[in-house]
Amino acid sequence: MSQLSDSVLKETTVYLGPASKKFLERQTQAHLNGLLFDHLESQHLDELVKWIEISAGLLIGKDKAADLIKKIRTL
Amino acid sequence: MVSARHSLQTKLTASFVILILLISGLTFFYTYGATKSALKDTIQDELAQVAGVMATQINGDSVILLKPGEENTTGFIAIRDQLAGMRANSKEITNAYIMKNSGNGIVFVVDDIYGTDPNAALIGESYTTGETSTIFEAMKNQVASKDFYTDKWGTFMSGYAPIRNSAGETVAVLGVDMTADKVIAKQDFIGYTIYLIMGLSALIAGLIIFYFSRTMIRDIRKLNDTAEKISMGDMSAMVEVQRNDEIGELASSFSRMVASLKIMMSDDDNKP
Repeated sequence: MSQLSDSVLKETTVYLGPASKKFLERQTQAHLNGLLFDHLESQHLDELVKWIEISAGLLIGKDKAADLIKKIRTL
Repeated sequence: MVSARHSLQTKLTASFVILILLISGLTFFYTYGATKSALKDTIQDELAQVAGVMATQINGDSVILLKPGEENTTGFIAIRDQLAGMRANSKEITNAYIMKNSGNGIVFVVDDIYGTDPNAALIGESYTTGETSTIFEAMKNQVASKDFYTDKWGTFMSGYAPIRNSAGETVAVLGVDMTADKVIAKQDFIGYTIYLIMGLSALIAGLIIFYFSRTMIRDIRKLNDTAEKISMGDMSAMVEVQRNDEIGELASSFSRMVASLKIMMSDDDNKP
């Protein structure tokens, strides 16, 4: 797992709990051309953030999703 | 839905109001007792001082000349009017009079209500109540009644001071009365004021607690509603509680748990 993947996972877990890995894996594979989440690099971050905002918004609400992506952007 | 009787909000508000009433009630009893005592001390001091000031204005040489039956002499009338004039300057004082030690006990010399009140004491009229010991004490220094006393004119608290002749010898005692009603009215005023402050404090505290507990309970209800929806299979339910306290922490944990549950339960192909 890349260091960036680990950091994104840690931040996401605060909001989405233990299923965060499954959630992030689903986002990278579905929207980042089948990328494995563990192979996440900084050039993928903008696209990933876009999809996290949309998908997490459906799970935890737009406000909390906005908080989450704000934290991920600082990584 | 929990009934109002069993609601946490009702219990919290009731508990705090009872607590406030208990604390302020205990404070009231202590404060009221201490204030009553302090007020009585102040009144006693005032009475003794008023008597002291008035006594210095009276000519002791003229007082000692008055004999029984001389109520209509110019000497008596002058002193009576002087007493009445001084008494009129103090709205708290209801009677002013002069007494002396006749050798057989305390007797009246001048009563300022003579001529206006049929119950006025005459020169030489004996005065025998428990208050006489205080009057004897006033032959030396200005003093006040230790407590309320009752005589044929009513219930009073009085101040006394020695009247001296030109040689500086005590020849009589000047007394001033304040009716018990006035003292009790002052004490009651303090009591009512404390009651009012206590009642208002309990009311305001109750309203504040009611308001805070309402916001708390409202958010707990929101969490409960979300849990209930999810438990009934509604996976679109979201936790909409934003707080920075313990309930906020609970809401965050709950939101995390719900989000995880949604992800776990979702179909890999068509869910976020």
